Amino acid sequence: MKQRTRIPLLLGGLLLLAAAAPAIEFTSSFESIKIDGRPGEVVNSEFQLHLAPGGKRVHFKARAEDWWPSEDGSRSFYRPAGTLPRSCGTWISLNPVETAVDAGGTLAIRVTAAIPRQAGPGGYWCVLTVDEVPDPLEASEGVAVRFQASVSVGIFINLAPVERAAEIRSVEISRGKSRLQVCNRGNAPVGAEGRLEFLPPGGTSPVATAVIPRATVLTDPAPCRILTADLPGPSVLPPGRYLVRVLLDIGVDHYLGVQREMEIGR
Amino acid sequence: MFQRKVFAGLLMLTLAAAGAAVAQTTVALPDTSQTTTLTSIVNEQARVTVPATVSFNVTDVTSSTAASAASVTVSNIVLDTATKQIKVSIQANAASFTPPVAGATTWSATDVTWNAAAWTNATGASGTLSSSAFNSVATCDADAASCSTTGLVFTLGAKGTVKRSRNHTLSITWKFESIGT
Repeated sequence: MKQRTRIPLLLGGLLLLAAAAPAIEFTSSFESIKIDGRPGEVVNSEFQLHLAPGGKRVHFKARAEDWWPSEDGSRSFYRPAGTLPRSCGTWISLNPVETAVDAGGTLAIRVTAAIPRQAGPGGYWCVLTVDEVPDPLEASEGVAVRFQASVSVGIFINLAPVERAAEIRSVEISRGKSRLQVCNRGNAPVGAEGRLEFLPPGGTSPVATAVIPRATVLTDPAPCRILTADLPGPSVLPPGRYLVRVLLDIGVDHYLGVQREMEIGR
Repeated sequence: MFQRKVFAGLLMLTLAAAGAAVAQTTVALPDTSQTTTLTSIVNEQARVTVPATVSFNVTDVTSSTAASAASVTVSNIVLDTATKQIKVSIQANAASFTPPVAGATTWSATDVTWNAAAWTNATGASGTLSSSAFNSVATCDADAASCSTTGLVFTLGAKGTVKRSRNHTLSITWKFESIGT
């Protein structure tokens, strides 16, 4: 009788062990692949991911796909290559596409971009996505979610002539944050970063500044992006009326700038 | 005055021409064959640790169930500029859980929510799981070397129509991205 009860308990213990599968740990490249190319050109690059030692053997699968963020950047959409009008996803081939990596091992993927001869000027983009493939032998008991890790790095291909242009459509400040709407008016994605300066009315030098973190502003289908920046604390920027000046660097030979007087409450 | 400037100019031109012709000296050049320039190219990179599973101990299907807190870590962050950031987001791989019996009622992916956890060096965001978009869980602070949490709590909503016990499972993908030009 005792032996009979032990068997289910042992089985349950094994199932729990399977459920408590170890976390995955790896170091990945986050380097975007940036190519200034010409129609008809073939350009090679490489992506690397190192699996931490002491873990499990992991299968990875890679693909090129299209990507765009929501206007506020809180959501990211990934769709099959060729979904977007300025997709470079169908130009990309990967080797290997799927492989297993032992703990402590390295996954190296050769990324080849074959730019079509008929491609027009401007910026094209897509992403290289590397997914952890779930192990079918790792079962979860009860009601559970199983996690897989995925890394996406950008692939940006510019074909001359590239026009980088953008405009700041609006500036709003509320609840300790500033929100800028920036729209791309060129033919290629741009990286936008900069700062806000707060000047007393009539003043010439700022009493406070706020950093605008870097964000990518694409062309269609998401040509506008909300960039947010945290305002300095009330001790640095007390409530009051200020001339708010926005300076944005989009990688051209001049800054984009706008300014207006605004009331800042805290 | 004008004549004096012209004269001085002529004299300098003459001296310069003479110097070019006769005043040749040996100049010691640095011996580049005895130096080695070491160039280290550091790519943008980061180390990522994510949990494998989270379980919900559902004792009452008519109430929501919170899972144990999960840990997520992004460390050794190396990026191009001090203003670039790594974003952590999640998406369900299917619109609903896989029930223990085909056709049985189970939870939808949208029944899973998470809290705006306290993160070190990141801003956490609460959210609802989707199977069509990656929703932000956190954005690491600009110029941070690492960001992490040990307090990410997933909650499974109430679903009184669930009638089958045992395994209901859903796969979720963690996305780590810093996509930029």
